[in-house]
Amino acid sequence: MKAMSTDIQIAICGSAGDGTIAAGEILRNVMAGLGYKVIAFDVYPPEIRGFGKCIARMRVTTEQAYSLKPQSDVLISLDDSHAIPHVGEVRDYGAVIYERGSIVQLAEGGHISAHVRPAQLPYAVPLRELSEKSTSSNRSRNIVALGFLAGLCGLQEDTFLNALSRKFKKKPEVAESAQSAFRAGYAESADTFKLDDVVFGPVPKAPVAAGSAVEMMNGNAAVVRGCLDAGIENYFGYPITPATSIMERLALEMPKRGARLLQTEDEIAAISATVGAGFAGARAATATSGPGFSLMTEMLGLGVIAEVPCVIFVSQRGGPSTGMPTKTEQSDLHIAVYGGHGDAQRIVIAPTNVEGCYRCAGKAFEMAERYQTPVVVLLDLYLSNRYETVVFPARPPFAPNQSKAPEKDQLGDAYRRYALTGDLISPRTVPGDKDGMYVATGLEHNELGRPNDQPQNHEAQSRKRHEKLKAALAHPDFTHYKRFGDEGAVDVGIIGWGSNFGECLEAMIKARAEGIRCAAMKVVMISPFPVAGVTGFMDQCREVLVPEVNYEGQFANVLQANVGRPVARLNRVPGAPMAVGDILEEVRRLAARARRGHEKAAA
Amino acid sequence: MSTVMKPIYVEDKLREVRESGRLAFRSRTLPTWCPGCGYFSIEEGLTWALNDLGVANKDIVVVSGIGCASRFPFFVNAYGFHTLHGRALPTATGVKLANEALTVVAVGGDGDGFAIGGAHLSHAARRNVDITYLLMDNGIYGLTKGQTSPTSVVGFRTSTSPYENLDRPLNPLLMMLSYGASWVGRSYAGEPNHLRGMIREALAHRGFSYLHILSPCVTFDKTSKTYVNLGMQVEALPETHDPADLAGAMRIAMDTERLALGLFYSELRPTLGDNMDELVARASGPPAARPKKAAGGRR
Repeated sequence: MKAMSTDIQIAICGSAGDGTIAAGEILRNVMAGLGYKVIAFDVYPPEIRGFGKCIARMRVTTEQAYSLKPQSDVLISLDDSHAIPHVGEVRDYGAVIYERGSIVQLAEGGHISAHVRPAQLPYAVPLRELSEKSTSSNRSRNIVALGFLAGLCGLQEDTFLNALSRKFKKKPEVAESAQSAFRAGYAESADTFKLDDVVFGPVPKAPVAAGSAVEMMNGNAAVVRGCLDAGIENYFGYPITPATSIMERLALEMPKRGARLLQTEDEIAAISATVGAGFAGARAATATSGPGFSLMTEMLGLGVIAEVPCVIFVSQRGGPSTGMPTKTEQSDLHIAVYGGHGDAQRIVIAPTNVEGCYRCAGKAFEMAERYQTPVVVLLDLYLSNRYETVVFPARPPFAPNQSKAPEKDQLGDAYRRYALTGDLISPRTVPGDKDGMYVATGLEHNELGRPNDQPQNHEAQSRKRHEKLKAALAHPDFTHYKRFGDEGAVDVGIIGWGSNFGECLEAMIKARAEGIRCAAMKVVMISPFPVAGVTGFMDQCREVLVPEVNYEGQFANVLQANVGRPVARLNRVPGAPMAVGDILEEVRRLAARARRGHEKAAA
Repeated sequence: MSTVMKPIYVEDKLREVRESGRLAFRSRTLPTWCPGCGYFSIEEGLTWALNDLGVANKDIVVVSGIGCASRFPFFVNAYGFHTLHGRALPTATGVKLANEALTVVAVGGDGDGFAIGGAHLSHAARRNVDITYLLMDNGIYGLTKGQTSPTSVVGFRTSTSPYENLDRPLNPLLMMLSYGASWVGRSYAGEPNHLRGMIREALAHRGFSYLHILSPCVTFDKTSKTYVNLGMQVEALPETHDPADLAGAMRIAMDTERLALGLFYSELRPTLGDNMDELVARASGPPAARPKKAAGGRR
């Protein structure tokens, strides 16, 4: 381990109700507050209590990291039966912290101590006893464990105590009790053998531009920030995991800015009202997950044909049907790009990290307005719930009012709402505009907006609706795709999208360290597809790998529909982020194949 | 005693219509309904009422779903949104919340409103969103050429119930009263003067107004809800009925033999927009302290 750089991953594992996620939240906030870069992702069951498994994992670094590591440095067990399968993920000379009090012989596998490898450092801590002594309740085992860990790693006690009093600002008695629990755990660590191999190094002072701020938040919170900074006026939604927290935060923030939010009776009403508000000229959005989006596709088609701006955030989870509501997956790309009936092309963008969630959210409103169309922003549970430290710009990078307004002489009886202009984007009025009256309809219509099903008209309007979106491929101040790694010709090129791109980057970095010529490209704009950019990249790659967290290779399907070259696919559906090792292994295999190709060419 | 019929001259009628100013609300698209359809008098009533209330065309949005009745927006000279089957109410809710200055009228038929769109009725009503809903009930699906609807009577024969309709019809008025609509009335396309007055009242009401309009389908229903049959069933609301009396309104609505026409119920309470404005005031503090609205849309 280098003296200067810190790269530590901590996992806390417990049963629902143990306070696992809460402990993780406190820890990652403290670490981010100290200036470390943090990536955190929690796994939890669909039940609120019950006995489901919860894991809070965080990676704390000084250098930028892009995903979690396959191995953790420390595992805290709040429930041994759940934690035992994860003892193996702790690296050699890493620590396993568990309950000393109850030596329960489990039917399968025995006590957790029996699973600790000789090279791992076991710490049996009387969590329950300390919790009861310090707070006269056994409910603070999580905080005791946190205190023990902090002491073990030599972290400042005060930093945590302050964080606890901030967290329970409104309930001083809870704060006090949590602080006692923390102190008890911290003190306990003083009497034990030290953990020399897990050391938090000094934090280098990173230069931050004036006015911008470093904050830790998850993808959904970043989406909310993007919506607010872009001036969202109306939001309509229906609760669904993992998109709910977007609505919860907006419900808190929008009224402060004079904006309106409504919880509708279902997702159909949510998108109907969103389209209605977009028609009336507002910046409007809704957010949902796969099941809700399935219900929305009919109205999405209306948005396309009536050319109404609106934004739909879709946070994917395991599917189909109810599927795995609290597990991540990238399996709604097909429905986002193709969902619904008829030729209904729309804009689909997919951020790859938390900062991207902010940018895509704000830019989606710009695009919806400028190209007069629904814009789908694809997230997934991993990205929605993943915490990262993000630098926010001092000034929101989003432009207001992108709508093309008609000239005076275009209004009146001859006003053509769906005029076939040079750029195929028609001047648009909204209710309240004088002499701009028209009827928006889901029927095929002529330039005036009147129902018309004549062949030439349907051809012309279909072409208009498709071709006008091409301009989005050059939308200003937006990263449509981006290449990382080796420049020029490479043996293996990885193309990734969405939350999974962090794993792709980590694999690419590791492959390059092994001497493989490797590059990675993220594709943020998925529809319309940036054919030129992706083809240009693929032309420089001997082998192309597309890793995705879905079974069918949905992005690879879209890619191959646009680029006539086969790609190697890597598909996993574990309900969790893809293992970096799996991608790396595939890169090695393809690199070997590429080398054989070189040799053959040389011979 | 003999009644002397005063002759009606087309010229006189045209002048009267032109002078009324009501044509300003008629679009240049001719209605596509069948000759004799009750919807003509509803359209006539709406344009008359809009003219009488003096609303500017540019501030009106007529929102509809799908069906014969939902073709309505094309025939009104105003902004219009012809949406999806059953989705007029949530779309109209979005339009109204985006811009409270607009007069938003949702229109649709019995299938659109009470079958596929049934989930939205209760919520538009309980929220008291400030829109007017004109429900045109002909008891049949007309645009798909005559199938059973949720207000078709038991025993009614259509192409999808060729033996007879087995399902008892909904009681739309009773439903809307119990859902908490703040204005509930019933009128009949066969009585255009009553109808236009009721449309005017519904538009003038501040809050969610539901006007149920009985309207015969002259093409696909020759036996059930015809002008002859409905004409015999309708009667005026008892003069003693107080529109503030919800229980009384429900009792009258329960009578499905005699169909009372008039204002069943009316109540003034804060609209959804009012409540949201209050929420904004509470959340953002005094007006001076409120942050300036960030980059918005077209408005």
